Amino acid sequence: MAKYITGALDKLKVTFDILKQNGGIRGSLYQLFRTDELKNGTVVGTDKYGNTYYENNRYFVVFLDYDGSQVPAEWYGWLHYKTDLPPTVKPSVKYKWMVDHTENKSGTSEAYMPFSTTKSKIQAWDPNARKE
Amino acid sequence: MFIGLVIVAFSLLDFALLRLLLVFLSFYYGLKKRKIYYQNPIVSGLLSGVQAGFMLRLPFLRSIPQVTRAVTLGGRTVVTGAPEKVEVFIDGQPVLVDPGTTVLQAAAMVGVEIPRFCYHERLSVAGNCRMCLVEVEKSAKPVAACAMPVMKGWRIKTNSELTRKAREGVMEFLLVNHPLDCPICDQGGECDLQDQSMTFGSDRSRFTDITFSGKRAVEDKNVGPLIKTIMTRCIHCTRCIRFASEVAGVDDLGTTGRGGDMQVGTYVEKMFLSELSGNVIDLCPVGALTSKPYAFMARPWETRKTDSIDVMDAVGSNIFVTHRTGEVLRVLPRTHEEINEEWLSDKSRFACDGLKRQRLVSPMVRDSNGKLVMVEWEDALVAVARALQSAKGDELAAIVGGFADAEALVVLKDMLNILGSESLCTEEIFPMDGAGTDLRSNYLLNSTIAGVEEADVVLLIGTNTRFEAPLFNARLRKAWINNDLRVASVGPKVDLTYETENLGDSVQVLKDLAEGRHAFSKVLNGAKRPVIVVGSGALQREDGAAIFQLTQRIAQNARVASNVGHDWRVLNVLHRVASQVAALDLGYKAGIEAIRAKPPKVLFLLGADEGAISREDLPKDCFVIYQGHHGDHGAAMADAVLPGAAYTEKSATYVNMEGRAQQTFTAITAPGLAREDWKILRALGEVVGVKLPYDTLTQVRARLTEVSPNLTRYGDVEAANYFAQAVELSKLIKAQPSSAPLDVRQKTLEDFYMTDSISRASPTMAKCVQAVKKQRQSKY
Ligand code: SF4
Ligand code: FES
Repeated sequence: MAKYITGALDKLKVTFDILKQNGGIRGSLYQLFRTDELKNGTVVGTDKYGNTYYENNRYFVVFLDYDGSQVPAEWYGWLHYKTDLPPTVKPSVKYKWMVDHTENKSGTSEAYMPFSTTKSKIQAWDPNARKE
Repeated sequence: MFIGLVIVAFSLLDFALLRLLLVFLSFYYGLKKRKIYYQNPIVSGLLSGVQAGFMLRLPFLRSIPQVTRAVTLGGRTVVTGAPEKVEVFIDGQPVLVDPGTTVLQAAAMVGVEIPRFCYHERLSVAGNCRMCLVEVEKSAKPVAACAMPVMKGWRIKTNSELTRKAREGVMEFLLVNHPLDCPICDQGGECDLQDQSMTFGSDRSRFTDITFSGKRAVEDKNVGPLIKTIMTRCIHCTRCIRFASEVAGVDDLGTTGRGGDMQVGTYVEKMFLSELSGNVIDLCPVGALTSKPYAFMARPWETRKTDSIDVMDAVGSNIFVTHRTGEVLRVLPRTHEEINEEWLSDKSRFACDGLKRQRLVSPMVRDSNGKLVMVEWEDALVAVARALQSAKGDELAAIVGGFADAEALVVLKDMLNILGSESLCTEEIFPMDGAGTDLRSNYLLNSTIAGVEEADVVLLIGTNTRFEAPLFNARLRKAWINNDLRVASVGPKVDLTYETENLGDSVQVLKDLAEGRHAFSKVLNGAKRPVIVVGSGALQREDGAAIFQLTQRIAQNARVASNVGHDWRVLNVLHRVASQVAALDLGYKAGIEAIRAKPPKVLFLLGADEGAISREDLPKDCFVIYQGHHGDHGAAMADAVLPGAAYTEKSATYVNMEGRAQQTFTAITAPGLAREDWKILRALGEVVGVKLPYDTLTQVRARLTEVSPNLTRYGDVEAANYFAQAVELSKLIKAQPSSAPLDVRQKTLEDFYMTDSISRASPTMAKCVQAVKKQRQSKY
């Protein structure tokens, strides 16, 4: 019996922790609306976009913008368990040839458009290319 | 198996002397001996080796009597005589056949197909692959079905244990020395060897000698830019050799060596100089001869095939257009017994890559700097319509070129007629004096292409049929071989691949012939079925009318003298371009004389690319509109360009030189903004304010039928027969023949390849011209 009571109390505590961490009832509802879930964890750090990285049993990120491509390279490795050392503990190496991380621009005017490298099937006539 | 071993054993012995002896015997003892050889499979195999060695010199065989030749050419040319039928049994099924029919043909009559490699209906019988072995009851050995005439009461078993064993044996022998490179072979998927080894071959291999280092390999030959050879794959069926010497009439291919060392090739490295060379690609049952431009392009099962009609010459050959992902990959012949049989000329087959170059993909209008710039359809149509409206009816004119289809022709004509113009001309000239183009029989190849096979004397006037209509020439050659056709020509001396009496190239010869004074007149008058063919090239001259009048008189004299019935037609015109007959049927005027005489303010060029008219002939302010698919002479001089569709990109009607209407089907869509020609004209009519009463292809065709019903009777030759009247009318012609000698534009092979806007844009055709020129310099 006691087991059930402590179990229930634990759950309650976790619930309160989660609510607290997400900013009370209002904040939690807002978070639930934005990210479809409520979690709590220890804050590990934030990246340049302002996304916050947490750790409880697993590593996770709470986005400011809710866009999966907004994880910078240095955090990517930690988030995907390639390393257990977040960049706050072991900053990643920076070379001057590395470009800054950008999010996926598909659907915007800056979207990446590769040009075709295959020869076009039809060669059009160019009226102004003088022959002979 | 056993038979195969015997053949190999024989070929290993030195038979050189025996072969020579056999040849002489066969020539001197004629029919009797020959028949005996054919009945003995081993000797017949040897004999075919001899024939291949001697390259089947048919002209040589011509010197031996007719009967012998009939047998030489195999079961196809059956010796005439009382056709008492013989009864044979194929797998127990009784069938009555003519004597002389081969086992293979008899089996085909009851629908039993016997596998074969070397046998081909349109070539002589070689009998050297042995794939067609079948069992005949009470015969000790299996017989080669393709070479063996049936005997009364034979019981042939095409599916017995022995037959199957024999086939398996042959298959094994072929595969022992065949590279098993199907994965990288272009023939894969359409290979007879592949198919037949699946169907008739053994289901397991007995080839254990994999470490044997002596597997046969043969060096590849370079026979020009069209045919790729991988000679290790050759199974020595000699089809290519027989085609070259019998149909193409070029003894370039042959065999060297014997037994395991036998090679098929050109003896010395040289190009296969024929305008029909591409057909050996289709004939080769394996991947030894494949198409060079098509190498490694596609597998047959990935492609789609659309039936179509060829427009590179006026023959109207039936073709398949093979395409994938909106790109024409190759063109193959489609069998039509009355036109192209199953052959195709090289230009029709290989110029299709010209459809991808120099294309007009967007409408263009000349800007204030005098440069053509790409514009939208709307702007182009408005610009053109404004020009058309600004001119009075009789200041408008149109010239149509060689690729225009009947639909576009009729729409253009309707539109300009409504606008008040009557000067619609074709680029090709045809004399309009006398009956001109009013009588249809005046401008058709009245005898029909298949019909010339029955002729006994043919007179060619000012035409090189070999390059102007290669498949018509192939027919003449066929008749020359099988019927003892006598051919004479007036014009420059050209090689037509068969014996031709050249009567000289002066117009005087024609006059003499017309008046019956020439030595050849006797032959012509003695002919039973004379045919006179005048090339449209000869009628392009100033005095074309006079030449045509002379031709008509010669034809009429020959008709009267030979006393042929009314259904035999003597006079024929050989056109060079695909659109001409349809244009004349629709009432276009032939030749641009009228336009030169009265230069128009607005000139509409519908695919007119031969440079018949140039800027210098036109007034400065003349507005030229070009509609077509290639950027060539026409587009270069135009003020507005409307991009049309090529023949593979539209459903269109073409009428060939016999007057046979045929239709192409849309294989791919036209590139870029290009559209079907009749639709462009219809849209233009809308903008100009001319209401044309049709919106769909069916309605346009209904209009065609209204103007000239024959244009939509697809497949039929609409015969015409008003020769006597035409001759009467031609007496009105005043023109006098000039003294200039008759000439033809295409004299040798290098002139053949690039003659129109498609073939001029084709890189393959350009390579051919280069290769032929190089070959001319070589000492072979
Ligand atoms: S190249 Fe082809 S067609 Fe010619 S002999 Fe060899 S297998 Fe036959
Ligand atoms: S031997 Fe008969 S088909 Fe080749």
